[in-house]
Amino acid sequence: MVDVAPVKPQLLVPMRRSLSLLAAVVVLTGCFDNESARSTGENGGTLVISVGGDPDVLFPPLSETTSAQIVENLVYDPLAEIGDSLSTVGDVGFKPRLAKSWTWAPDSLSIAFHLDSTAKWHDGVPVRSADVKSTFRVYTDSASGSPFAVTLASIDSVTTPDSMTAVFWFSKRSPLQFFDAVYNMSILPDHLLKDIKGAALRTSSLSRNPVGTGRFRFVSWTPGSALQLAADTSNYLGRPHLDRVVMTIAPDFNTALTRLVGGEADVLEQVPAAVLPDIEKDTTLTKTLDPGLEYNFVQFNLRDPKQPNRPHRLFADRGLRRALGEAIDRASIVKNVYDSLAYLAVGPTVRAYQTTDTTVAPIGYSVDKAKRDLDSLGWKDSNGDGVRDKAGVPLEFTLEVPSSSKARSRMAVLIQEQLRQVGVKMNIDQLDFPAFVAKEGSRAFDAVFGQWHVEASPGSVRQTWGSAGAAKGGTNYGSYANPMFDAEVDSALSAHTTAERRAHFTAAYRIIDEDAPAIWLAEPKRIMAVNRRIDTGKLRADVWWANIADWKIPADKRIARDASAASPKR
Amino acid sequence: MAAFLARRIAQGLAVVVLVATIVFFLIHAAPGDPFSASMENPGISESVRAAWRHTYGLDRPLGEQYVRYVTSVARGDLGFSFSLQRPVTDALASALPNTLLLMSIALVAAFAIGIAVAVAQVRRRGKSTDRVLGGISIFLFSVPDFWLAMLMLVSLSYWIPLFPIGGSVDPTTHDMMGAAARGVDRLKHLILPALTLALLYFPVIARHQRAALLESITSDYMTTARAKGVSENALITRHALRNALLPVVTILGVAFPALLTGAVFVEKVFSWPGMGLLIVNSINSRDYPLLTAAVLLGSTFVIVGSILSDVAYRLLDPRLRDER
Repeated sequence: MVDVAPVKPQLLVPMRRSLSLLAAVVVLTGCFDNESARSTGENGGTLVISVGGDPDVLFPPLSETTSAQIVENLVYDPLAEIGDSLSTVGDVGFKPRLAKSWTWAPDSLSIAFHLDSTAKWHDGVPVRSADVKSTFRVYTDSASGSPFAVTLASIDSVTTPDSMTAVFWFSKRSPLQFFDAVYNMSILPDHLLKDIKGAALRTSSLSRNPVGTGRFRFVSWTPGSALQLAADTSNYLGRPHLDRVVMTIAPDFNTALTRLVGGEADVLEQVPAAVLPDIEKDTTLTKTLDPGLEYNFVQFNLRDPKQPNRPHRLFADRGLRRALGEAIDRASIVKNVYDSLAYLAVGPTVRAYQTTDTTVAPIGYSVDKAKRDLDSLGWKDSNGDGVRDKAGVPLEFTLEVPSSSKARSRMAVLIQEQLRQVGVKMNIDQLDFPAFVAKEGSRAFDAVFGQWHVEASPGSVRQTWGSAGAAKGGTNYGSYANPMFDAEVDSALSAHTTAERRAHFTAAYRIIDEDAPAIWLAEPKRIMAVNRRIDTGKLRADVWWANIADWKIPADKRIARDASAASPKR
Repeated sequence: MAAFLARRIAQGLAVVVLVATIVFFLIHAAPGDPFSASMENPGISESVRAAWRHTYGLDRPLGEQYVRYVTSVARGDLGFSFSLQRPVTDALASALPNTLLLMSIALVAAFAIGIAVAVAQVRRRGKSTDRVLGGISIFLFSVPDFWLAMLMLVSLSYWIPLFPIGGSVDPTTHDMMGAAARGVDRLKHLILPALTLALLYFPVIARHQRAALLESITSDYMTTARAKGVSENALITRHALRNALLPVVTILGVAFPALLTGAVFVEKVFSWPGMGLLIVNSINSRDYPLLTAAVLLGSTFVIVGSILSDVAYRLLDPRLRDER
């Protein structure tokens, strides 16, 4: 184990002998019966997921952490679930959940969801359309402060013609109507929300003891330690195969890895490339490698950091940005840092999208061309100090990098060296994460090493790279704006077929690649390590935990902790 | 003694208020805010972040925020943790007992081991036992805490699986155990982090204690005792040790705040849900109320430790009792 600890086994013996405590410990370890009864049959077993931190809040409209989203996804249900293809056009591929069916209005401005009459909340109360209406109110009430409110902006209202039907009314027709209605909204229990309003939702009992309709029910949460879910054996969608899901919290990655290889955990996500060889050697573990939903990039600020109404002294020049792109060997940098564990990014998108055309090629690497272009732009090394200059101004800028990201820090150093070779001086400013994003948000930078984690729909590109997000307060921090790019993105998002959508997005990516507001670097793969006793089936690209209810632990592979038939003692 | 105590408590309160005030303004001056992390989520707009800041009063002038904070602390309300989404008092209430348990056991073990090692060294002073124990003390004193913690974890939990791999209980079976088994489970999880901390702390105590013992055994009263035929063992344990314990009381006073703040790296490596981790996470997430409350509590412990140390000194050393 490369990354666990630089230890020598022989140190152990004298240390252990010197500690008489250990004799007692040997006795204590015998207090557990490791061969206790094992559950049999297709259903049974305890899945242990190792996560790095506690959930923030177990209330879907307000949660932001991954650990919270795992729990919520298992405890709560949406009206319909996106398919494995992640198609967001219309209702193609969507699977019924709380809504057993749905009907589009002839004018497509409303969708009536017909609820499953057998669905019940975990406290036994039947699910009714009032729950859907109340959920919409909570998500969109500005006093709640839900980050998902913006994703529901296209929905005017939700009405309930009867107790089992909820109708979503839209302000305009769009291919994303269905996606907007179901993807980001988990249905909440109206009977437990009635008396809670606004900011009080965050501190309500429901936000720490969720009551949902999902195939797992919430059992307990011990902050800093673990969180437990149990199978809802009478669930309307059928009993999950697993008896329990336990999330254990290990803030230190080495400890989390030791738990995994030591058999105390079954799943570890976000495994760094450095430990992958050790995981491959371990016969009890398997790794999963899938396209992820993240891409990183060096983003240029096109506006003056101090006077945003003026262009940046360097990066307002498209030719200069392109020349810098030509000077950087992206393929070798990504290979050097990620080996085979990341794709070379093709633009502001990820391969997990059906709409991504991987043949789109950003600016090619050519040191000679970069030098020629810089010369022709007037950037020459007039004083022989190794740094090009023009009218007495050196070609020098600072790249802001979050110190929390080792990959981005390493890539920044490689970029610095490659730019040095063409006479560009790039300073690296490492900042802790809150300071980094504060600088990014205030746009007080020359260039930032950014990264976006995108959702299942490629629509967020309008905010992150389009004119819509270029103004202060938006998320297009480099202030890139090109009406042609905006038009292609708008056309893509309003296209009614995947092929049409893909064609428009491809055109948009070609435009932005040519404009080079950023140098696209890596699209890291999602690497997870899973104990071989777990049968996970296919993992969904956007959220790997989406199908945990269908995961299995075969009877012959169950261990002591899988014997969980007994009720927790209180 | 009463006047002395009253004076020290008044001084202590002033220090606590001063420290909390400095931390309040320093953490607010640091770049970023509690909602900075959401800036890498393109789905969360600036208007949402502005609404959150408004909800928690972070859009008010800093002076006003300070006055509101002091007022709420005076009412016993330490605020709401942004990162944990729960009242700060709840967060402290769940972390503090874990740290008190871990650190008190670790400190007791460290003092016991430290004093025992010092006595053994002085008994065999100048001989190989003295040198070996001294070498071990220096080695343990100089190793980084996270390294020793990782070594202990990997050695005694993975290579030789005697102990669980971190955590304060077994999350998969603890709730299904009876009371006795729960106690055993808790103990199994406690031993390794407590032992690690004890190994990290004892060298300081051992070295101070050894020096104090060596000074003590050369005193006139020890020569007299020797002349009376008192054995070397009895000299050290009955006479020298009692007088040499005073410097250790000072170390105890200094170590007392560690009962609260814990040991960050050891807590992290052993996934021990205590105060150390809470404080570090509150800094990284710019969780102003949680950090300020933790510092408030920490400085209170420093003051209490210091007062207890002074009181113990006065009780143990009659010469100090009449000092003002």
